Amino acid sequence: MKTEKKPILIASILFMTAIWTFAAVVKGTDLLKGIDLYVFILIIIIGIIALYKANKKEKELKEGVALEDELTLFIKYKSGYISYMITMYLWLFIFLFKDKFNDTETMLGSGILLSALISLIVKFAVKHKLND
Amino acid sequence: MTNRIKELRAKYNITQLDLAKKVDVRRETIVFLEKGKYNPSLKLAHDISKIFNLPIEDVFIF
Repeated sequence: MKTEKKPILIASILFMTAIWTFAAVVKGTDLLKGIDLYVFILIIIIGIIALYKANKKEKELKEGVALEDELTLFIKYKSGYISYMITMYLWLFIFLFKDKFNDTETMLGSGILLSALISLIVKFAVKHKLND
Repeated sequence: MTNRIKELRAKYNITQLDLAKKVDVRRETIVFLEKGKYNPSLKLAHDISKIFNLPIEDVFIF
């Protein structure tokens, strides 16, 4: 996807989420209570971060700065490999302790969220320990 | 491995962003190089040395 289209797409998703929330609140459903509320807040936070990053990239593209270079590729490949290995063990433990989860959706959702969190942490760690 | 990028930038009055644009990398990469946190590829080391009109061994100290 072209970089300049990304902010529009992310803003549209955020806008649709806001409308959906408004409709849910007006109707007075239980949609935004308990764990769903945390998931909703997480979606909004991730959306705002994605929007900020897409705007920053677009600005850099206009300035003529390289969007990707050998360092970003190195960080991407190294953190990708480490995250993959950790995530394998995560899923193994999730399946070992599957009885602890209320239902399959919660189990899969937790696994996906934790995988995303692991990849973020690993990326941060790799970036700050490049030559170690 | 250490390098003289920061010193040479100051000498030639080049900003990190300018140098990054000239060698087609992100500014962040120049920051990591100057801090000695990242060892560049031979191509990047060559490109940076070329900007300062110096041989690689005068910019990067092994």
